[in-house]
Amino acid sequence: MAHLYTSDEQIDRLVDFKGAREYHLTKDRRKKDKRMPLKEAIAEFVHDGDIFAETGFSYVRSPIQAYFEIVRQQKKNLTGIGSPMSNCSYFMARGCMKAIHLSYIGVEMRGNDKNFARIIKNKEAEILSFWSHGTMAQGFKAAQLGAPFIASKQLLGTDMIKQNPYVKVIDNPVGIDHDPVCLIPALFPDVCIIHVQQADRFGNAVISGPAINDIALAAACRRVIITAERIVPEMTIRDNGNASIPFMYVDAVVELPYGAYPGCCPGHYFWNREWWEFLIRIGTVTYDNMIDFTDRWIMNTKDQYDFIDKAGGMAVIDKARRLMEAAQGTADDTAISFDYQEVIPKWD
Amino acid sequence: MSNVAPANPLEMLAYNLSMMIEDNQIVYVGTGLPMVGGMLAKKTHAKNITLVFESGGQDPLEGCDVPWSVGCPFTYRKSPLTMEMSISFGQCALGYVDIAFQGGAQFDMYGNVNTSVIGSYENLKSILPGSGGGNDIGSLTEKSVLVGLQLPERFPERVDFLTTPGYLEGGDSREKAGLYGGPIAVVTQVGIYDFEPESKRMRIKALNPGMTVEIAQMCTGFELLVPEEIHMVAPPPDEVLEILRTVVDPRGVFTKMPGM
Repeated sequence: MAHLYTSDEQIDRLVDFKGAREYHLTKDRRKKDKRMPLKEAIAEFVHDGDIFAETGFSYVRSPIQAYFEIVRQQKKNLTGIGSPMSNCSYFMARGCMKAIHLSYIGVEMRGNDKNFARIIKNKEAEILSFWSHGTMAQGFKAAQLGAPFIASKQLLGTDMIKQNPYVKVIDNPVGIDHDPVCLIPALFPDVCIIHVQQADRFGNAVISGPAINDIALAAACRRVIITAERIVPEMTIRDNGNASIPFMYVDAVVELPYGAYPGCCPGHYFWNREWWEFLIRIGTVTYDNMIDFTDRWIMNTKDQYDFIDKAGGMAVIDKARRLMEAAQGTADDTAISFDYQEVIPKWD
Repeated sequence: MSNVAPANPLEMLAYNLSMMIEDNQIVYVGTGLPMVGGMLAKKTHAKNITLVFESGGQDPLEGCDVPWSVGCPFTYRKSPLTMEMSISFGQCALGYVDIAFQGGAQFDMYGNVNTSVIGSYENLKSILPGSGGGNDIGSLTEKSVLVGLQLPERFPERVDFLTTPGYLEGGDSREKAGLYGGPIAVVTQVGIYDFEPESKRMRIKALNPGMTVEIAQMCTGFELLVPEEIHMVAPPPDEVLEILRTVVDPRGVFTKMPGM
C-alpha cells in the first residue's frame, strides 16, 4: 500500500523490537519524583510524529483530559493505535492525527462515528492496517512478554490479513497439528498515557477495574505518562502490593482528578452519557458540528475543572459519583435512578 | 385473553437470542441486544449461566440497569476478577466459552460478517467502526450466533469485506483455514436460520409469528435454503415479556421500537 501521510520509518517503528529495547535502555533508571503538571508532561513526552497508543476502553478509565491537552497543544502527525481507539476521531478532526492502525472507532450501540467515516472517505487521514481487538491486544502482550511475536488463531480467513502488512499466516511449525496460525508481531508504540486510580510519585501505578491493554502498553511503549486520580504515599502501594505498572516504565506522573471525565472511572465516577451521545449523534455528523463541539469542549476549555463547570458543575459530578457507587454496588442502589434524557436528534 | 401486549420485533429478537442459551453455559456477551438476550436468559430459563465480557468483566452480580457499554461497571459489578483484554479472548480459544453473539453490517450466505468497509478500502463507499472483538469471538468461540436486521443489502451473497469468519467459502473451508467452532444460527427480526451441514449455506430454521418464506427471501440478497418443513417460533410467554420489560430492559433502551 502506498501511503499519503506516513513514512516507511513510521510504519516500521511500530514493530522495531530492537529499537524499543535500545530506547528503554537509555531511560533514566533513578527512582525519582516524576510529578509534573499535565501541560509540561504532554509538551515533553508526546512528540510530533509519534505512534500514539490509546489506553483504557475508549471511555472507561481513559486519560481523556490529557488527550484534550494534546489537542490544545496542536501536536502533529500522530499515528493512532489502540483497542479500542474511539478518541482518535477528534484527534483526526483537529488535525493532530493523519494515520491509524484500526481496531474499532465508535461508541457501540450509541452510534457510528460519522466524523471518522468522513475523514477516511475524504482521505484526510489513512488506515495503515486493520486489526481485531484481540490480535492488537496480542501484539501489545507479546511486547510485554518480550516475545518477538505471538501465533494467533484469530484473523485467519479474513480480508483484514490482506489489509495488514504486519501479520503473516503460516502452518504451525511446532506442536502436533501443523494447522494455520497468524503471526502477530510485538507492537511498540512510541507513547501512551494511562489514567489510574492511584499512583505514587515515582510512577508505581494501581489500576482498579478492567486493565484492558494498559499493563502491556506500559511495558511496550517507549514513553509512558501516568495521570492519576490520587497520588498516594509509596508505602500505601507497598502495603497493598497491588501496583500493576512498575515505576521504571514511567516518565511522568500527573495528579489529575477527574482525568477520565467525561468517560467513567471505576471507583470514582460514571459516564456523562449525554456528552457521548451528543458527540456521536450530533457532533460527528458534519465537519462544522465537529469543530463547534471540539472548540467548546476542548479548545475553549482550560482544564478538567473548567470542563466540569461547563458540564453542570458540582451537581453533575456528584451525580456521576453516586451512579458509579450504585453501579459497583458500594452504595445502596435502590434509591438511585439511572434514568436520563437520551440524546436523540430529530433528524436521525 | 392476555392483557400483555405482544412482542415487538426487537423484543422477539431478544427473546430468540435468549433461547439460544442453555442453562449452565458460559456466555460471551457483546453490546446491545445480545446483552439483553443474555440477561433475559439468566432471568428465565438459564439461571445458572455465567456472563463474560470483552472488557474483561467476569461473572458480574446483577445490576440495576442495562450496561451502557461492554465496558460499563455493570459488566464487572462485584466481579471476583477482571481480565486483561488479550486474556479474556483467550478464554474463547481455550474452550471455556460455549456461546457468543456477533452483530454486523453485512452477513453473507456462509455466515461471514462485515463490520469494516462497504465497497473496498481502495474504492470506499463507507468505513464502518471495525472488528472490535467481533473477529476474535467469531474465530474462537465454539458456537456463535449472528444477530442483525435482515434486509437484502445487509444480507448479500458475499460480504464486501470479510471481518469475522463464518464458513468462508462453505464446505470445510473454515476448518481448513485453521479456525475453531463456527456460527450455529442467525437471528433476525424475521426468524432464525442455521447452516446446512454439508454446504454450510444459510437455511431457514424457524420463522417469527406472521412471517413467511416469501418475506424471508425478500429480505435476503441470496437464495436461502428452505427445509421441507417450516417451523414457526412460538411467541414468548407473557411472564417472559414481563421480565424483559420490567427487569431486564425497563427503560426500553434496546427493545423499544424507535419512534414508539
